[in-house]
Amino acid sequence: MKIPAVSFQSLEKVYRNVTALKDLSLDIQEGEFFGLLGPNGAGKTTSLNTIAGLVKPTKGKVLIDGLDAIRQYRETHRLVGMMFQDIILDSRFLNVHEILVYHAGYFGIPRRRAQELANELLKRLDLWNKRTARVQELSGGMKRRLMLAKALIHDPAIIILDEPTAGADVELRLLIWKMMEEFHEQGKTIVLTTHYLEEAERLCDRVAIIDQGKLLVEGSPEELMKRQNQQHLEDVFLQLIRDDSV
Amino acid sequence: MIGFLTLFKREVIRFLKDALDTIVPPTVEVALYMLIFGLALGPRLGNIEGMPYIQFMVPGLILMSIIRNSFLNPAYSLFQSRWDGNIADLLSSPLSASQIALAIILGGVVRGIIVGTLVFVATLIFASFSISSLLLALGYAIVVSMAFAALGCIVGLWTKGWEGIGTVNSFVLDPLVLLGGVFYSLDMVSGIPFIEPLTKINPFTYITEGFRSALLGNIETAMFGFVLTIGLGMIFLVLAIMLFRNGYHLKS
Repeated sequence: MKIPAVSFQSLEKVYRNVTALKDLSLDIQEGEFFGLLGPNGAGKTTSLNTIAGLVKPTKGKVLIDGLDAIRQYRETHRLVGMMFQDIILDSRFLNVHEILVYHAGYFGIPRRRAQELANELLKRLDLWNKRTARVQELSGGMKRRLMLAKALIHDPAIIILDEPTAGADVELRLLIWKMMEEFHEQGKTIVLTTHYLEEAERLCDRVAIIDQGKLLVEGSPEELMKRQNQQHLEDVFLQLIRDDSV
Repeated sequence: MIGFLTLFKREVIRFLKDALDTIVPPTVEVALYMLIFGLALGPRLGNIEGMPYIQFMVPGLILMSIIRNSFLNPAYSLFQSRWDGNIADLLSSPLSASQIALAIILGGVVRGIIVGTLVFVATLIFASFSISSLLLALGYAIVVSMAFAALGCIVGLWTKGWEGIGTVNSFVLDPLVLLGGVFYSLDMVSGIPFIEPLTKINPFTYITEGFRSALLGNIETAMFGFVLTIGLGMIFLVLAIMLFRNGYHLKS
């Protein structure tokens, strides 16, 4: 049996009195385009941040390509490219190009190669003209593009996008999905959270819907629509969330 | 190693690009101390430990600048990264917790040594002072800056606001440094209630005295302060690395 690219195993996270994740078990296979869906506060970001090493699980574990994301974080972090939901950029004294070169350096990429990779990504993400600009000079959409470039610069096998199109205009949304479809064709694993359910329905091989920290369903969008007797994934989502809150 | 060196370089570039706020002010401040305490008041105090007062002040002022700057660099850098959120870039990278802590601490060491050197050059405008053993002086300065950069790292992790760094600086570091023999020797405060016992129990007194001896090339008298600094430095360094490993105020 193949080792899953990402495996949440009985994951639980409790913040003081709030349980963010309840016994979450979920496998994401290598090469899958996977959507983690749920309403605000469902635990999507918490579960993704356990992969990135920003959240320490209270119980359970996360395996990346069979490696423990807590104990073997140096190996697992190499495999993962993370685009965080919040815009976090080293904005005080570095320009756009330098941000990428330094970020690549943290992943052990030599400076010359990092510069080449940064150039390629900036051109591809239509940020080339802004390469010497400071973050403060970028629009919200440009900052998102830069966040995406950071996630991709070390050519990760697993790309994790936490609401990548939140606040993005149509052009950026299309660009992100086009790039992700290309990466999917190359065999990379893509995990995303999004509130655009019609896009998840169109793009994802499988989705999981979580609410209040627990897994409600998982399967391909077609399976779920058939199972719930609905025409669209959005209807499945609304029905499940409504039932869960009763 | 590339990751570690990249972060170390970032830490150095961070303060170099902002030199007007990070390097110039401490140099100007020390020049003012030299002008006021050394030139204006110094001649009235006569010789201290066999040298003019203005000359006596030089090692203490250099040390004070090294301690403050090596402390402030990691404290501000780390808290700024936490505040801006871009600490997540480091935490989600393959860098180990120890590598992150050490790179940030070494950035502080470099700032401490650069400021210490500039301060020394600035003091030469006012007083002649020759360093007998550059190697001993530099070794001592590196150990001191390493210790206080590690402390800065701890404070950068501990603080919940910008004010916390200023509070530690004003209520802990400054009193300890200023009551630690920068401006006076132990003999000068002999018999003065409160000041003499405070100075005697203050470890900074021995660190300053050691540094003064190191600059003058006196290894024997420098040794106690040197060992004391190494001891403090080891405690701060281990604590800083442990806090990073545990994700203290870094991971939820």
